[in-house]
Amino acid sequence: MLQAIDLVKRYGPVLALDGFSLSVAAGEIVGLVGHNGAGKTTFVEIVSYLVRQDGGHVTIDGRPPSASRGRVGVAPQHIALYPSVTVREHLNLFGKLAGLRRAALDSAVEELTVALRLGAFIDRRTAALSGGQQRRVQAATALINRPGLLLLDEPTAGADLETREAMLDVVKQRAGEGAAIVYTTHYLPELVELQATIAVARSGRIIARGTYDELVDGLPGEVRLIHDNEEEVRVSTTQPAATLIDLLGRAERPISTIEVHNPSLDDLYRSLAVSDAP
Amino acid sequence: MLLETGYRPGPAAALRESLHRIRAMAGNNTLIRLRDPGQTISYVVMPMVLMLVLEPLYVRAVDGGTTKVVTGLLVMFSVFAISIAGNAILAERTWKTWDRLRVSRAPAAELLIGKTLPIYVVMIAQQTILLIYGCLVIGLPIPGNVPLVLGAILLWAFTLLAIGALLAAIVRSHGELSVITDVGALTLSSLGGALVPLSLMPEWAQVAAQASPGYWALELLQAAVAGDTAGVLKPAAILLGIALVCGAFAIRRLTRGWGRGGLL
Repeated sequence: MLQAIDLVKRYGPVLALDGFSLSVAAGEIVGLVGHNGAGKTTFVEIVSYLVRQDGGHVTIDGRPPSASRGRVGVAPQHIALYPSVTVREHLNLFGKLAGLRRAALDSAVEELTVALRLGAFIDRRTAALSGGQQRRVQAATALINRPGLLLLDEPTAGADLETREAMLDVVKQRAGEGAAIVYTTHYLPELVELQATIAVARSGRIIARGTYDELVDGLPGEVRLIHDNEEEVRVSTTQPAATLIDLLGRAERPISTIEVHNPSLDDLYRSLAVSDAP
Repeated sequence: MLLETGYRPGPAAALRESLHRIRAMAGNNTLIRLRDPGQTISYVVMPMVLMLVLEPLYVRAVDGGTTKVVTGLLVMFSVFAISIAGNAILAERTWKTWDRLRVSRAPAAELLIGKTLPIYVVMIAQQTILLIYGCLVIGLPIPGNVPLVLGAILLWAFTLLAIGALLAAIVRSHGELSVITDVGALTLSSLGGALVPLSLMPEWAQVAAQASPGYWALELLQAAVAGDTAGVLKPAAILLGIALVCGAFAIRRLTRGWGRGGLL
């Protein structure tokens, strides 16, 4: 569905993308993670045809982004809504711009109102909504015409639990219907819940891609023992279970606490962020 | 099921779809205008009050004083209305909504038409109301050639819209736009003879006036009100030229978006 190969993009002296390649199949959710400035938003803007790349190429269903207008649903990182316009009016506007009319539009508005839990404030102006509610409205405007490719750029940033749950449910549903989805986030557990393929961006390129298990395999976890005299032992290890057995066999004093941390995506993310820090 | 298909509409269907999208954009922008009408109202009421107060002065000072006070204040406050167009377009950047629209199926031309149509209507309504008020309350003779006056209003409003769009495309903030429209509008319209009749202004100002679109708007409207078709042609051509240059530049800029570099 989406193929991006060797994308290069410069903003003056800053190299935002440096050989960025990513493909997303129909029905696949790709979680795009990386620290700020890794190139995630620039990638989204290029695929949306808001920004032109300096090198490389992108195709959506075999066509360039310029020929794919309206086939891509985009929920940008920042809130982009009309403050004096109501939620329903937003959905009608974006639905009509996508070519929906009367019954089809009403049906799409109704469905998203339920799915993203917009009913309580559907006729309120967006300026009067909370940040989480605005996030849901923004996502709804991107989803209104059931686009084949969804670009959701940090759709749950700063959002409450209700917003996250609603958003994740809808994303899973749309992927189940065959949409290709790029989901950028800093909340890694969301990607696990979405069962997303995870792509890690750093310095303008994708440096790792795989399932959760594939990516955390080989990362160190930690074993922590506290003796009855409050002496603490911490060991970073790629084999927590074996290390724990070894430590227990060599312990000379009674042990009051045992903690075993298996490696997680947070560890992966942190290690990448630390290694990329200036 | 995803709604996306490989469907390609024929020319008639494509036109219908295009009009559907323009109507959606225009409807949304009409809503926004109606929910924040303050600026529009003030640019209609203020000249009405000033016409009433200044009319005796104009009548004593110059020949055709009634026509000059009505058209002069109409031009001055219609120039102020550039800020309505500028702010409406610039707000799309403030709200970051323009890029969201650019991602939609609607081409940039449709977005721009839908965006500017309600503003154009507001500008035409402002000038029409002021002219009717001038006839009914101030004593402006009812124009003999109404289509000519209407044409003059349509052209002047189009010029103002293009200038407003240009300013919105190049300024970095609402503050900058406000400075340019307030100071610029007052200077250009005064210099053009909108506030004080040109014949009462210093000689250098009378020469410099021709550099102001306000001057040509006054020439246009006064000729149209007088039913002077030949007198309309030159100012109409000059204003149309200004509108096309400004409009072309604004369209080019807005089609590409503001990008990340614009300050607000």
